[in-house]
Amino acid sequence: MIERTITVVPEDGLHARPASKVVTAANSYDSQVTIGPAGSDGVDAASMLAVTGLGVGPGDDVDITADGPDEADAVDELESILTTPEHDTEHTT
Amino acid sequence: MAHHDHKPLTTDLIDLDHEPETKPEAIEQLLDLAVEAGRVTDREQALADLRAREAEATTGVGMGIGIPHAKSSAVTAPTIAFTRSSAGIDFDAMDDEPATLLFMLLVPAEGGEEHLQMLSSLSRSLMHEETRTALQEADSPERVESIILEAVE
Repeated sequence: MIERTITVVPEDGLHARPASKVVTAANSYDSQVTIGPAGSDGVDAASMLAVTGLGVGPGDDVDITADGPDEADAVDELESILTTPEHDTEHTT
Repeated sequence: MAHHDHKPLTTDLIDLDHEPETKPEAIEQLLDLAVEAGRVTDREQALADLRAREAEATTGVGMGIGIPHAKSSAVTAPTIAFTRSSAGIDFDAMDDEPATLLFMLLVPAEGGEEHLQMLSSLSRSLMHEETRTALQEADSPERVESIILEAVE
């Protein structure tokens, strides 16, 4: 299992488009992926309802964990989503 | 206006008698509840704000739940509206589950992060199967009101 602490950059926090990207990414890996406020238990990152329930805002620290065959890639992709400002992604997606 | 003292949800914002059949219909029906309750000054503006949020990412959050929401200059007080679909409607959820419990969250433009707090509390509460079942089985607006208000407190 891999665990990494990340500071959330997108200005929406874990809502709207960034949340949707996190959930889509978590669903695309075989590993079990969790996300939660730093230092506390995470929730299933593949569930939009669970991720929305976290209420994570910009500047908050979150712990991401991934456990499974593609755990390194899963954590890398989530880190990339959560550290990219929204206006940067607007033009590329 | 003393709207700020009002509860976000009252029984006139709960419709258990008319079931929407599509996602756009659900959004308009929920918005009409808020309009009729006197919480929206400009229906078209509020609808445009809801659609803009929806275009950004679906509010079909899975587990049979849809929560269209917006912060809007056309809204006078934090508002929740609720309706149901027994058959379930396609809300573009990632888990492909049809939505049966349909909420709308509206907050005034100056509402800060209030709407996100309400959204998070509601979502956390809806993670519990007991809450979802209670809302599906509730037979009166009064019952729905108490379940939801407890959830967002």
